[in-house]
Amino acid sequence: MFEMRGIDKQFDAVVALKKASLTIEPGKITALLGSNGSGKSTMVKVLAGLVNPNGGEVLMDGKPIQIRSGMDSRKYGIATAFQDLSLIPTMSVIDNILLGNEPMGSMGMVDRKKALREVNELLERFQIDCDPNDYVNTLMPSAQSMLEVAKAVKHKPRLLLLDEVTAALHHDEIDILFRVLRELREEGVAMVYVTHRMNEIFQICDSATIMRGGETVISAPVSELTLSDIVFYMTGKRPEVSDKNPTVEHHFSADAVPVLDVENLKISPKVKDISLKAYEGEIIGIGGLEGQGQSELIRAVLGEIQPENGTIRFLGKDRRFKAPADGVKSGIGFISGERNREAIFAERTISENIFAGNAAKGGLFSYLKASTVKNFARNAVEKYRIKIGELKNPANSLSGGNQQKLVVARWIAMGPKLLLLDDPTKGVDIHSRLEIHDILRQCAKDGMTVIMSASDTDELLAIADRIYVFYEGKVSGMLSGESKNAQRLVACMMGMTGKEEAVQK
Amino acid sequence: MNGIRSSYLRFRKTPAFTGFILFLISIVLNTVIQGFASGNALAFFNPNALSTLITSNAPFILVTMAQSLLLISGTLDMSIGIQIALVNVVCIMIPQELGAPVEVGWLCAILAAVAASLLSGFGCAVLRLPPLLVGYAMTFIIKGVNVLVMDIPQGKVPKAYWKPYQSPLFGFLPVALLIILLVFCAWLYLKRTKFGRYIYAVGGNPRNAFAAGINPVKVQIQAFVLKGVITGIAGICLTLMTASGNPLQAEDYGLRSLSACILGGLGFGGWGSMSCAVFGAGFFVVIQNTVYYLFTLLPKIIPGFAVTSYWQNMVSDVILLLGLFMTIVTAKAQRETLKQGLVKQFRRGEKYAK
Repeated sequence: MFEMRGIDKQFDAVVALKKASLTIEPGKITALLGSNGSGKSTMVKVLAGLVNPNGGEVLMDGKPIQIRSGMDSRKYGIATAFQDLSLIPTMSVIDNILLGNEPMGSMGMVDRKKALREVNELLERFQIDCDPNDYVNTLMPSAQSMLEVAKAVKHKPRLLLLDEVTAALHHDEIDILFRVLRELREEGVAMVYVTHRMNEIFQICDSATIMRGGETVISAPVSELTLSDIVFYMTGKRPEVSDKNPTVEHHFSADAVPVLDVENLKISPKVKDISLKAYEGEIIGIGGLEGQGQSELIRAVLGEIQPENGTIRFLGKDRRFKAPADGVKSGIGFISGERNREAIFAERTISENIFAGNAAKGGLFSYLKASTVKNFARNAVEKYRIKIGELKNPANSLSGGNQQKLVVARWIAMGPKLLLLDDPTKGVDIHSRLEIHDILRQCAKDGMTVIMSASDTDELLAIADRIYVFYEGKVSGMLSGESKNAQRLVACMMGMTGKEEAVQK
Repeated sequence: MNGIRSSYLRFRKTPAFTGFILFLISIVLNTVIQGFASGNALAFFNPNALSTLITSNAPFILVTMAQSLLLISGTLDMSIGIQIALVNVVCIMIPQELGAPVEVGWLCAILAAVAASLLSGFGCAVLRLPPLLVGYAMTFIIKGVNVLVMDIPQGKVPKAYWKPYQSPLFGFLPVALLIILLVFCAWLYLKRTKFGRYIYAVGGNPRNAFAAGINPVKVQIQAFVLKGVITGIAGICLTLMTASGNPLQAEDYGLRSLSACILGGLGFGGWGSMSCAVFGAGFFVVIQNTVYYLFTLLPKIIPGFAVTSYWQNMVSDVILLLGLFMTIVTAKAQRETLKQGLVKQFRRGEKYAK
């Protein structure tokens, strides 16, 4: 019914989709799978009208159609339930569900009775326990996710796009959702189901399309696929092939004190129970799909957010930093992937940007000579051979990759005991990325401990000595030495620990 | 009984609740203090006094209602105060200079307010300039226009027009209250139309509203036009009250209406309703009234107590500030409910995981 052919999409230099294709049939649920950055979300956004592709065509019933906006998408009978929700939090349940689709009564007024009846039917069908007059921002996240699906279903779509809708749902709610989805399948509605939970695919999906690096790798009925097939198509690597990477095997005596020792950390709602240890000179990778609690863990260690439970031991002492400033004073550095929001002072010069971390340490009114700033920056740049152009130019004259190197320079120049990096190479070109890796390795050799989360699996495998994989707020695997390979990593990212793999077919 | 209880619980959840509580507190305070000051326990509810209070403050209440419309749709207009002066100036000058009937002057005045609002709306919604900046710029522009049209305070309104406005119907019902009710009823109707839903959506999250097929620019412009009409009515009320023209008055209504909205429980964008504005403005007005009586009461209790009237303003402003703090506390209470929800969610997750 719907077909996407040869879809291309570039965001600046980053290629998101390369001749990707997808066929959707009525009365079938098609799973769209792929690891981070494989382009599955972009495919959904193309159909939803939020992303305009650079090339390729979308066909409906064999005729090419143009989806340029959300309005167009609706016009062709496509409804989308977004992962990041499209509900308006300050409006009531009833208004949200019927927004743009209100039943009209007399005198141009919305027919409240009819609206209430329709919404109650829908709430009953999805067994959402809430008053239609409740404001959405007072509902639990799981109820909001269900509402998001209910809102999409209310449009009576021909094609329903579901983008990781089960991420916030509980087991019982997923059962309800699946029952509704099966009913819709009986009615002939086509569905595209994006998920990272493997067992759901075998439960509900009819066919699967697997993407890797922006290309469609395979489309096949689910019955012809096994779990290990899926993992193989997603990673594209045979498990036997070991990656060559220059990681160092560390051997620590049992009584060595870890630089960072996190135990049973809990931060609602994302982090449920996380324990990890990092020793001196180690590079620890934190892997996982997006939003499994990686950022929260890093920010809790830094002191930006306060955990509810658990202990954080830094250099052998129990510490709970109240603010990032405390963490930085005690010798923690933090490099964020969100350059523009959390790191760069775009209008100020490169040298000032590098000095910024150090400036935070000194007294507020202590006199600062211009040459101090300049020399500090020059030393930092020379020591780690960072090539970032004229020091007196503003930071926004640099490319994204160079800006990120600047942030790295800022922090390593302060010589922290522990350096935290939250997806630092997001949107950074491969060359700068490798340079940053080299700098980090050199720092680790000098005794700095590095903890780095990354959404890119190859990057993690290349740089980390050990990798903790997070899944739904828990550590689903710790990979080191032999077990540190792409297949294990992806399996853990999907929440498949050794046991579950045996149970699944 | 149960019905009352459940509707009370529902009312507690609405944004207007804090404004309502503040309003009630201010009325109780006013009744007590005015009672002591005048020696009559129910002096506040004296029809004449109450009618004067409502009539003289009707422009402010109406302006706050107009401002609330903008706040709901996620924008604001600080120049609303000087727009009232514009209406006042046009109301006076059209009959005086052109000899046109007073009603024509009123119509032109409302159109002038709509035009000024449209210009503000163009800056905020279409050009996407920060609403505060647009407000300041518009204040200076309109001030200039006002002085061009009327260089010094002058003019008068025929007695046949201001007299009925200032004397209560049937001896107790102020005309101004009728006008406020009329505007409020119009809001109750609008709230139930598509437009009513759309301003909330646009104010709450313009991106998601756009995704739902709503044109945020169009909706905000419509809100500005409506605000212009209400501002026009408020300006006519002001003209009938003062029965003269002044090109440079009411400028502070812009800031005051905004604080009254916040006091009443409106948030920036999609949170609250026009009843919030009514309660907020009511609180504002009643507190000022209370403080006036407080300062007539104090010399009676403390012999020799005499201060300048500046103290009155300061005391009422401090009380208003306290009211603003209270809105922060209630916002925190809302955060608490959210947190409780999260905890509940978490526990539930554990229960089902077993």
